Amino acid sequence: MNFEWSEAEKAYRSEVVAFLEEHVTEEVRGSWLVDTPARIEFVSKMAAKGWLGQGFPEKYGGTPSTTPFAQYILNVELDRFNAPIVGKNVGTIARTILHVGSESLKLDFLPKIFNNEGQWALTYSEPSAGTDLGNISTFAENKGDHLEVNGMKHYITSAHFCDWYWMVVKTSHELPKHKNLSLIIVDANSPGISIAPMYCVGTTTAERTNQVFFDRVKVPNSRIVGELNQGFYYMMQAIDYERFAIIAAAQHNRRFHKILEYFKEVDFAGERPLTDDPVSRSQMARLASRVEVGNMLERLCMCIAAERVPSVEASMNKAWGAMMHDETCSLAENILGPYGCLAKGSPYAALQGYIMEEYLMAGHGRIAAGGVDTAKTIIARRLLGLPNSFAPPVLSAR
Amino acid sequence: MDIKLSEDQNLLQDTAARFMQRECGFEFLRDIENNSNTGFCPHMWRSFAEMGWLGINLPEEYGGMGMTMVDNVILLRELGRKICPSPLLHTVVTAGESISRCGTEVQKRELLPSIVAGTSVYAFAFQELSRFFHPSHIRCEAKVEGDAYVISGRKMFVEFADRADTLLVVARTGGPAINRKDSSGLTMFLVDRHSVGVTCELMPTMSRDRQYEVVFDNVRVPESCILGNVDRAWADLEPAIQKTAIALCAYTNGAGFEMHARATQYAKDRVQFDRPIGQMMTIQMYLAQSIMELYGADTLTLFTASNMDQGLNVRGYVGKMKAFCAETVCRNMDTGSQIFGGMGYMEDHDTTLYLRRGKQLELMLGGTEYWLEVIAEEIIDRQPVNLS
Ligand SMILES: Cc1cc2nc3c(=O)[nH]c(=O)nc-3n(C[C@H](O)[C@H](O)[C@H](O)COP(=O)(O)OP(=O)(O)OC[C@H]3O[C@@H](n4cnc5c(N)ncnc54)[C@H](O)[C@@H]3O)c2cc1C
Ligand SMILES: Cc1cc2nc3c(=O)[nH]c(=O)nc-3n(C[C@H](O)[C@H](O)[C@H](O)COP(=O)(O)OP(=O)(O)OC[C@H]3O[C@@H](n4cnc5c(N)ncnc54)[C@H](O)[C@@H]3O)c2cc1C
Repeated sequence: MNFEWSEAEKAYRSEVVAFLEEHVTEEVRGSWLVDTPARIEFVSKMAAKGWLGQGFPEKYGGTPSTTPFAQYILNVELDRFNAPIVGKNVGTIARTILHVGSESLKLDFLPKIFNNEGQWALTYSEPSAGTDLGNISTFAENKGDHLEVNGMKHYITSAHFCDWYWMVVKTSHELPKHKNLSLIIVDANSPGISIAPMYCVGTTTAERTNQVFFDRVKVPNSRIVGELNQGFYYMMQAIDYERFAIIAAAQHNRRFHKILEYFKEVDFAGERPLTDDPVSRSQMARLASRVEVGNMLERLCMCIAAERVPSVEASMNKAWGAMMHDETCSLAENILGPYGCLAKGSPYAALQGYIMEEYLMAGHGRIAAGGVDTAKTIIARRLLGLPNSFAPPVLSAR
Repeated sequence: MDIKLSEDQNLLQDTAARFMQRECGFEFLRDIENNSNTGFCPHMWRSFAEMGWLGINLPEEYGGMGMTMVDNVILLRELGRKICPSPLLHTVVTAGESISRCGTEVQKRELLPSIVAGTSVYAFAFQELSRFFHPSHIRCEAKVEGDAYVISGRKMFVEFADRADTLLVVARTGGPAINRKDSSGLTMFLVDRHSVGVTCELMPTMSRDRQYEVVFDNVRVPESCILGNVDRAWADLEPAIQKTAIALCAYTNGAGFEMHARATQYAKDRVQFDRPIGQMMTIQMYLAQSIMELYGADTLTLFTASNMDQGLNVRGYVGKMKAFCAETVCRNMDTGSQIFGGMGYMEDHDTTLYLRRGKQLELMLGGTEYWLEVIAEEIIDRQPVNLS
């Protein structure tokens, strides 16, 4: 066993760090969910280095990767620099296209993704299909050479600046639940699409997501990903990747360390929480050990991911990450006392209101992308072999 | 032993609940958050006065209702359910109690009736540029100059300061604190909000209420503004803060109950996997855990209030109550939001008003750390335990 990075991995990491030191500007920092010109320019520079397509076949624009951990090392460093990580485009969409997409979809879209040409929105959720994604009702009717899509999606992050919707729709009225969904790619500028903003709780910097309405939107059959009516299974596998790629422990580390460093420096009229207050010291120390455990679960997930889809480990990584988000923000607020509640705009607000905003959105991680409850269910079922609690009582079935 | 409400208490509860239901809806709350420059509705404040609520605990001889602290809990719980914004807490409880406890006869005659009538609003200028609540952290100074005092310093989180008529200022007159447990050397002053040298600056918060930073720049006040004993404010103020804590917890618990009721209703209505999500054990466990904690919090609050009404020493109970209610209700706001799924985190969704208040209610009037230390002092340093 060896937890050390290899020489090649160390060399790659130094290269990444040097690149980030040069290119991560103030405008790039924190442009996680916003599509600024600075962000696009930055990600394109990474694309030019060949870093987006690492490990993907060269014929689709991929680049050989020296290590199965390349993407991980890159994301950890990106996150440390507070720059946008390589997320769903590569982690979810490119991977699924590679595994199940037609040759023409691979040739068409993979190079675009690896070159950072265009943005994507994951388009699954509907009012009656949240955790229960099998319940999707936005319908795509077979019109011969194309599908016609009618319906509505909500909580669609990035919809207001995306070029394509990566979308799951219902394609059969007859087939049973889970076997009646299909994965399709929809051009965002197709006629018949309209969007309305939804804002997350918070102040001026609150995240935006969207409602998206589809009214007789035409989608060519060539834009069906994989087989018709297999969409649910593709989506589930992709969500395993998403849990890992998007909700990574690196975020929680960065949050913890950002807050820790702030507490070391902040001075309340001569009192410093972590040097002068034994209670805060010990609480932060305890949290540090829990954040470290998050790093371990992520390493575990990485090592497994090098071999297979890490569904159980990804769920642990996801659930733990969401818990750390919560615990870190809540503790930080408690340590700050009433000052923990100050919003951006107050000169006394900790980290310009960052802690408060992060606190308000902590719950989001507990429900989005297969929340904590779903993650725990996956662990119980897939790892421990416990029966599905929705199934009929086991004994009466015998 | 009997925990049933009396007929009068039932009436108070029903009246308050009906009033809040009618007057304090989400549209009203959002309007106050976004458009009001006072942070509360002066018209509603007058109604409070008409119903006698602003004199609830104040002595009858000064126009008050002379009701019990338990009555106060019953009222504040209803206000809390609808997270009603008003300066009642510090006007009626903190200031009202401090004045009735240690004001001179002249002060009582002059000040209490106007609290009851709703014609004067008080703000509590206590917290300073410290994370801690303990009075040893007060540095704001009042120096004698002839027959007047000159106050200089900076107070933080002074709720409704800008709109208040009078600020209840706790300032240092007896030299710096010798250690973190030193509560001596402090004096209370009743300072006209419009005195020369007083400036207020809004502090934007998570719950979008009206907290102010108040700067006292050589503010001259006559000796007659002193409330209670010079250098020994804490002896009178601590009981007033205990009362405030009880009222605050009642409000907080009310907010917790309302959020819980909304989440429970949603768990019954929201269908996923062809069943109400409330059919899932996970959701049941969240809701069951929270309601158990809320019952505990509520009963502890009533118990503490009742003991206070009996004239017993409730310091330890107040500590336990404030520490427990604050944490419990905040956690309940979190799990409640979680049950609403994505909606629970959308700005337009009404329960986010509760989510945004949970943590702030927890940290108001001393964070949990302060109250845990109060408990520790009572159970470890003071109270002998009789094990037989
Ligand atoms: C900020 C934000 C961004 C988002 N971005 C996107 C996006 O880009 N694309 C997209 O498609 N979606 C997105 N979502 C939607 C997100 O994936 C859903 O909110 C999530 O799937 C939960 O669905 P729901 O909100 O309908 O809650 P529900 O599914 O109704 O869940 C309500 C509650 O019930 C619990 N619950 C449900 N089922 C079970 C079960 N079987 N066992 C135990 N507990 C259960 C849940 O944990 C939750 O607490 C986003 C959401 C948010 C908040
Ligand atoms: C010290 C002790 C003294 C006892 N004294 C008595 C006594 O005097 N008289 C008497 O009649 N019994 C007594 N019991 C037995 C006790 O009532 C049972 O242990 C108890 O009812 C649980 O039953 P079980 O042990 O068969 O566990 P199970 O019922 O098999 O439960 C196993 C686990 O599954 C969980 N579980 C079961 N059903 C559900 C569900 N629907 N939802 C969620 N979780 C569930 C349980 O919480 C537990 O964690 C005693 C037990 C102990 C440990």
